[in-house]
Amino acid sequence: MNLRFIDWIWHVRGSLTLSPGQSSDDAFNRLDPLFRQTGTSHQRTNDTLSFCKKNQAAQDRMSVFNGGALRIEKSMAGSVLKYHLTSRALLFCFLAPLLFLGIARFTIATNKFDRPAHEAAKKSAVIPMNPIDKALGAPAPDTPKKDDAGAEEESKKPSPTPAFVFAGIFAALYVVGRILEDRLVKALFRKNLLEAVEIHQRQLSP
Amino acid sequence: MDGIRVGRRVIGAQSPVTVGWENIPKVQGGPVKQFIFTWFQPTMLFALLAFWYYAPNSLAKASIALWVGFGFNALLLGLEWVNPRYASWRLTWKELVTDLFYVGLAYTLLRMASYYIGSDAMAKAIEHYFQQDKFTWFTGLPLLVQALLIFFIFDFGQYWMHRGMHSWYPLWLPHSVHHYITQLNINKGAVGNPVELFLIGLGIGGFFDFLPRAALLAGVLKLTTGTYQHINVRFNSPRWWRFLFTTTEHHSLHHSQDYEATRSNYAGSLIFIDRIFGTCVDGEAELLGMEGGRRMSIREQMTYPFTEGWKALKERFGRSSALPAQ
Repeated sequence: MNLRFIDWIWHVRGSLTLSPGQSSDDAFNRLDPLFRQTGTSHQRTNDTLSFCKKNQAAQDRMSVFNGGALRIEKSMAGSVLKYHLTSRALLFCFLAPLLFLGIARFTIATNKFDRPAHEAAKKSAVIPMNPIDKALGAPAPDTPKKDDAGAEEESKKPSPTPAFVFAGIFAALYVVGRILEDRLVKALFRKNLLEAVEIHQRQLSP
Repeated sequence: MDGIRVGRRVIGAQSPVTVGWENIPKVQGGPVKQFIFTWFQPTMLFALLAFWYYAPNSLAKASIALWVGFGFNALLLGLEWVNPRYASWRLTWKELVTDLFYVGLAYTLLRMASYYIGSDAMAKAIEHYFQQDKFTWFTGLPLLVQALLIFFIFDFGQYWMHRGMHSWYPLWLPHSVHHYITQLNINKGAVGNPVELFLIGLGIGGFFDFLPRAALLAGVLKLTTGTYQHINVRFNSPRWWRFLFTTTEHHSLHHSQDYEATRSNYAGSLIFIDRIFGTCVDGEAELLGMEGGRRMSIREQMTYPFTEGWKALKERFGRSSALPAQ
């Protein structure tokens, strides 16, 4: 099966044009601090840097990614940094709605099997109201009706609504995360590389 | 690291902590900001209490309480952006997704577990023996007194369950993973192994269903005082507030990387229970977690209590695979 058609779900790919004159070594040296984080291991060859993260810290700027490779390709037009990153968090968030839809189905199925025994339903009594509450104007409790006990029992049963709500929340979070994290990592790489160029230019200027 | 002597204990010998209210930073900014972050907590407490006290019966329902809870948490998430306590606790997309996964479990599977085998089921099992007329002394009390008593009994039970989790290994195992969180955010209270969350939720909740308004008022007391345990917001909580209620400062110390500090501040809402039993330490910590702040994945959170429990059982009862040399 060719995963290429679906792997965009948890793979983030992108490219950045390097400034003229910026070498592979320069670029990777500037990006190096990003890979010197707790739980991150990385390897560098001439034009490629590959990394792997395990139990990465929450505030690691690349914590959403578990691994990937950055490669610098040279052409007539100049050098380009191409990156390919993988994220289990994105995949998890993509699949989470399915899990919660499953939980909703399970809740509905369980409720069908668990019919309340009306004869065993609790008999509600009239709850007296304290004079202080009366004086302060708190609403008097409702008088319990005969059919209330069964309806009350039914309303206490676990509802599938929260599971549907969370399925929706995770679907929305996936869309936000897929776009946001793609942009954030690109901005992070760009910021680190640009700082390199600025320093380089400052060093060259008299 | 020398640590700080608090009573007979030395706190902060393994990881930095701040002890004493006078050493805790204050909210920075103009008078309006200072005012808001000083009076926000008491205002929300009294405003929501008044709402549930006077709400008509058509509104005083558990389903509305659920939405009020959602709204309150959303407001606090906003405050985390406006006035964070620590930059190192900032909420990221990944942290939000992780936290919400546990919140989702709490609202779905854990709620089902509670209904079929937890508090609700326990209450149902004994309701036939329950004679409501024997409790007229309680149901005749003013609503706020009923609510305060329910709130106190629930928190008192949670205090001992929590303290038990820190003192007895079989209970520590499911609770331990909650201590791998490395920062406090509004939904971090839900992060943990479902077994632990089920155990800590065991209480008397289901027994007070026959008092809907008192139960709602008790719920709002819990919401507007206990929620601040896990939050990345700097408040100037009034002196009386931090004497009575568990603050982020108290709970951050409980989550510190320092072992002695974790053995303090067990109460979920009412810190004065800790004061009564001598386990309260007023202070705060920024570096949180276990094993030097290792962040635990969701998969490990789910399996760790069982794998570690199995290892402990094998060590205790398992036969040695290697025979001693003759």
